[in-house]
Amino acid sequence: MMKIKLKKYSKIAVFSVVFLGIGYMGFLWYGQNISSLNHLSEDKLTMLDDPQLLPEKTAKLTAIEKDSNPIPIYGHWQNFTSKDGLPGDKAYCVRINGNRVLVGTHEGLAVYEQGKWRTYTTKDGLAHNGVLSIDVSELTGDVWLGTMGGLTRWSAGNFENFTQFNSGLPNDIIYSVICDGKDVWTATAGGAGHYDTFTKRWEIFTEQNAPMHEPWTYGVCAGDGKIFIAAWGGGVVEYTKKTKKFRDYVDPDGNMEMDLFPDDGVVHDITTGTSWANGNLWVATYFGLSRYDGVHWKGYFDHDSGLASNFINFVRAVGPVAFICTDKGLSTTDGENWVNYTKNDQNNAGKTIIIKGNEKTASAMSPSISHNFTLGVDVKDHVIWLATSKGVSRGELLK
Amino acid sequence: MKKRNYCVLATLVLIVMFSVSNLNGQEKKLMYGKTPDEFFPYNNFQKAYKYHFLEPIQFYGAGREKLSPKDLNEVKIGFLGPLEGSALMSLGKQMLNGATLAIEEANRKNGYNSIPFKLMVHNDVGLWGAAANEVVKMDDEKVWAFMGSIDDIVSHVALRATLKLEIPMVNTGDPDPTFTETNIPWVNRVISDDRQSGYALASYIFEKMKHKRVAVSRTNSRYGRVGIMEYSGVAVRLGHPMMIEERFNEGETDFKMQLENIKKTSSDAILIWGNAKEAALILKQLRKMGMKQPVYGSDRMVSAEFLKIAGKDAEGIVTTSPYNPNADTPKLKAFQANYYKRFGLEPDAFAAHAYDGMNIIVEAIKKAGLNRVLIRDVLTDLKTFQGYQGVTGKIIFDGSWNDIGDIWMAKVQNGQFKFSASPPMTMKKTSAEKKEN
Repeated sequence: MMKIKLKKYSKIAVFSVVFLGIGYMGFLWYGQNISSLNHLSEDKLTMLDDPQLLPEKTAKLTAIEKDSNPIPIYGHWQNFTSKDGLPGDKAYCVRINGNRVLVGTHEGLAVYEQGKWRTYTTKDGLAHNGVLSIDVSELTGDVWLGTMGGLTRWSAGNFENFTQFNSGLPNDIIYSVICDGKDVWTATAGGAGHYDTFTKRWEIFTEQNAPMHEPWTYGVCAGDGKIFIAAWGGGVVEYTKKTKKFRDYVDPDGNMEMDLFPDDGVVHDITTGTSWANGNLWVATYFGLSRYDGVHWKGYFDHDSGLASNFINFVRAVGPVAFICTDKGLSTTDGENWVNYTKNDQNNAGKTIIIKGNEKTASAMSPSISHNFTLGVDVKDHVIWLATSKGVSRGELLK
Repeated sequence: MKKRNYCVLATLVLIVMFSVSNLNGQEKKLMYGKTPDEFFPYNNFQKAYKYHFLEPIQFYGAGREKLSPKDLNEVKIGFLGPLEGSALMSLGKQMLNGATLAIEEANRKNGYNSIPFKLMVHNDVGLWGAAANEVVKMDDEKVWAFMGSIDDIVSHVALRATLKLEIPMVNTGDPDPTFTETNIPWVNRVISDDRQSGYALASYIFEKMKHKRVAVSRTNSRYGRVGIMEYSGVAVRLGHPMMIEERFNEGETDFKMQLENIKKTSSDAILIWGNAKEAALILKQLRKMGMKQPVYGSDRMVSAEFLKIAGKDAEGIVTTSPYNPNADTPKLKAFQANYYKRFGLEPDAFAAHAYDGMNIIVEAIKKAGLNRVLIRDVLTDLKTFQGYQGVTGKIIFDGSWNDIGDIWMAKVQNGQFKFSASPPMTMKKTSAEKKEN
């Protein structure tokens, strides 16, 4: 009698566990999907269609070339390291300047001209060998170099250095320099600096006279009559040149550990770069990418777009396309479609990955880009140059 | 046979149940900053679209393949701290002492493969952003890692340069929560931050001591502005927003105006967030004005300077502390004895944490070899130093390499700070919620 009862109860217990288990899993499934649906309705982003998880079709590069692609695709990569004449392998930035290419490395400025590299260092007159940023003045042709020890103007073969001791430069570490007509703007470790090359006067912008949370800045760009400063911890600071007025764009949720809504402003207040083109401001952060069209913000993360990684070192917009230097390769996008360039860990080959909506196509390339940790990029006509943690790469437009 | 099948089925269901539960990534936010679910911003209203710092970010750059240099005479480690021209000089000197002691002990134990360690000392105060320039100098000096600093602006500025230059950085003195929220994979913090302080103070003030109306007086510096943020957020979530937030400048000596405003709020407690000197003066003046409420404070008040200036008015003050000098552990006792023998004074929190931080750097170099990226890998792998037993206690890192180990409450009794464990961080229902139910 006792045996029968035990048997009966053990059956009931087992069925209870199974029933409860199935119910619990259903509850979890419901909870997760309701949460995703909330995001869909709030943010119009497809959590359920994570592009990183899309099945990857493979295609030959020649097939991709023939296909219609909304954004340019580059290939035929050629890579350069210290073995090829660069002063060092770590390249921070690159700028195409007519028939030559300027590369900022940790060990000096490298100039590529007629198939040869030439190096310039402090011995030649640079403020510091670590060259973090380069721009060329369209007005004068002068090359401006943001270094780790001051700002250098390279003009008519001469180097002239501006430091915080001999000029109004806010700080000697210049993370970004741009030329905007007669004006030169710098983003430094001690604020943003503006130098008028006609009057030779400096202006410094910090939290004391601009809506920055902190005095440190990381990126600067010009466009639409405005200057956009990536203010580390303070989002983006916009300066209208005509009115000399500032306004700031920050992440409205006010918290560093989350992004409450992705399309309500810049995705994070720690901004690392800005670039303006075609009416769009692109903002790089170590937490994702943002685009602002003057009215609406749009956020992009690696889980809901084709972005190779949320950790973005640099962004440059050319026309409708943004070139995004991440720690896991180069991403390019027009905001809808994506093309990513990545390198395999074990060899020199890699992949070109094209994401159009829910369609993902990967094509093998050999050689690929020099390294996945990308730090700077420039594009002109049919050529792209890329600065990476280990060398620089030159690619050609395939279509 | 049937019975066995049922058991197997039930076991499988249980396994699947718990694995599905673990896959629910959004719940991982509990790991960040040891933040209780209820303390998380917007928790009661909306799940965030994206939570950061759930998983430690990796460094994917090049450099691991670089070989150690040969023919080195010394292994250089950088030090960045307030040593001249700063209100934090006394803390900076203690920090330097702690780091120096660790280096000297390491060298007595054969250094790095018989090569002595050498501390490259840099002062962090000067022109705007000067800390970044000092990090560039350290790169030129070819340090393998560096320690710094205490001031939050200095530490932030140095951290940014660190990413460009790729030098491992260990921070042992800056409590700014946003410091490790920058997502830069080159830093560890080996001291509890103001997030932990804010949580502990809020729990102590509202849950343990049952205060309801708390006024705040805080320094008008970044230390005060950012430091009070986490306390303020939790106070709101507990249903007790600050009655008033009065600010004072560092170096100020007369706080009558701010204290008059605080007096008008009829608060049942006062929280002071600032450096020892100003906090002690505020305390004296508020008592003189007849305010008898219990007073609480931030951890920089745990100092001999505070006790000296505040005198008998310090009695009963409660603060948080990232260090318990009275902990009964042999490691701490030995450190205190050696420190006193070497420098002729008692170590403070900054000395003790610097000692732990420098020992961690030394061990990382010994394990990884002379390669900055490999040293970084060891410092941030969340294995090698997870649960590290230092003189300051057990060090536990969260996903952003922030120390979420123990924090203590310090109460002045008979003219001395007495230390006890901080209360657990839980949130009971607010009175409004109780009524609703």
